[in-house]
Amino acid sequence: MRLNLLALSLTCCVSIAGAAQSGRQERTFALPAQASVEAAALSRAGNLVAAICSDQVVRVWSTRSGELLRSLSESGQSPRAVEFSTDARLLAIAYQIVAYEKGAIRVFDVTSWKARYEFAAPVSPFIGFALAFSPDNRRLAFFDINDQIWELGSGSLIDISPPFGGSSSLSFSTDGRWIASADGDAHVRVYDASTGTLQSTAQGFLLEPMAVAFAPDGKSLLAGGIDQTVSVIDRKTGKILRTLPNQPGLILSLDVSHNGRQVAVLYGSGEHFVDVDHLMLWDLDKGTIVADFQKSGISITGGAFVGDHYVVAAASRNELTLWSLP
Amino acid sequence: MLTRRDVLQCVALGSGVIASPFSSEAMLSALQEGEKQTRKPTPPNALGPFYKRLAPVRSMLREPADPGMPLTLFGQVFDTRGDVVPSATIEVWQTNHQGYYDLDGYRYRGRQQVDNSGAYTFESVVPGHYADKRRVCQHIHYVVTAPGHKPLVTQLYFATDPVFEGDPQKNYVRDPLLQTSELIRPVMLTGDPNEVHAQVRFELCLERL
Repeated sequence: MRLNLLALSLTCCVSIAGAAQSGRQERTFALPAQASVEAAALSRAGNLVAAICSDQVVRVWSTRSGELLRSLSESGQSPRAVEFSTDARLLAIAYQIVAYEKGAIRVFDVTSWKARYEFAAPVSPFIGFALAFSPDNRRLAFFDINDQIWELGSGSLIDISPPFGGSSSLSFSTDGRWIASADGDAHVRVYDASTGTLQSTAQGFLLEPMAVAFAPDGKSLLAGGIDQTVSVIDRKTGKILRTLPNQPGLILSLDVSHNGRQVAVLYGSGEHFVDVDHLMLWDLDKGTIVADFQKSGISITGGAFVGDHYVVAAASRNELTLWSLP
Repeated sequence: MLTRRDVLQCVALGSGVIASPFSSEAMLSALQEGEKQTRKPTPPNALGPFYKRLAPVRSMLREPADPGMPLTLFGQVFDTRGDVVPSATIEVWQTNHQGYYDLDGYRYRGRQQVDNSGAYTFESVVPGHYADKRRVCQHIHYVVTAPGHKPLVTQLYFATDPVFEGDPQKNYVRDPLLQTSELIRPVMLTGDPNEVHAQVRFELCLERL
């Protein structure tokens, strides 16, 4: 038995060592002196990257040409979250309005760079945002003091708030019918995205799930967080079907590949888990590591599956670099 | 409703109030009712990522040999009309004296139902600062729930926190999560100099649904 365990452990070591990837450096974007990237979003096609910078400017680059397409800033407003629509025609930015302790979400047209939609949010600065566009690009889910689904055309809102504590992450199913939330009260909930009706609640967590992502078939979803496990949850019942073991830190974000075979897991590590420099790609069926990306001196600020690869947006002093995995 | 002036007049009249339709108990009760003040809801604060479900029901959060300064937390739960909320449940969690949360177990985590007067008490230790470089002050997390009331997620801060440098009214902005000094409470130190014990009173006010 012990030999078996040792063999298993060695296999794991070999597997990890073999899978360990430094990543392929794709492109680097320079920032002004003293500025650094705090959060970044990639378009699904991988052609655009938007970054919230420490100088309160949102910069948008073309990943193909490297050209800076736009710098967006609003006086007295601090950008907190950024997200592209699925078709990359819209860019949502959530702002904290410093002087009034409120917030706003603006949705920009990526061609004209005019704000097409705006929502005044009664947010407090300590509350994060969990922006998620529906696959049809007509709705935007977010968290201010409540979880809401915002119908962009009509401006109507559907409340999907948990009993307390808000949510760290929101995810639409690929058909747009369902929305899942990773909630502060240590539950994962699934709602009908059209009505806000609760479909299921996963109660198998004791600590907060910080990230949630639907599998492409919409029948299951993945969630992970402070308990340092990635759980596969049945959408209909909320039952945890299985878990990915041996996660090296608490889980900050999850992205499922378009074919549903891989998941990218971003970890918080170090004291109080504030180091965000480690990301792994996992094979969901086998439970094995496909790629292991970790670099000192960087902070992983975003990423997305683009085609067969996962693109990591990593910030270092005065620049943002895109790395491709595996 | 009797006002304070009404009652004072009754007392001044002495035996002459025997014919009054109010008994002394009724008058006192009416006085208390009259003095009941509307209250401002307790400001919310961040839940933080370290809430843990199914915390044990208990008031004693520290073990006998625990390091750190012993702390008694106490107070009452009211609503915005000034009524006590005896149906409230309070859940608290905090770091140990060195600034670390227990994620494996339930150290320094507990919940309790308040008593009939809305009162609660927790026995703990003064939490530490986070070990990283952020200026997050010492704090204790609270979730307060009661039927018919909006759940309250907030945090208690300590006026003695060195980050405030003795002036929490001015320096509360140093903590990235603090938007008001209302959540910073005075700390009363009691006991022998070799066994100092801290006490903090934190009243909580819920909004009705």
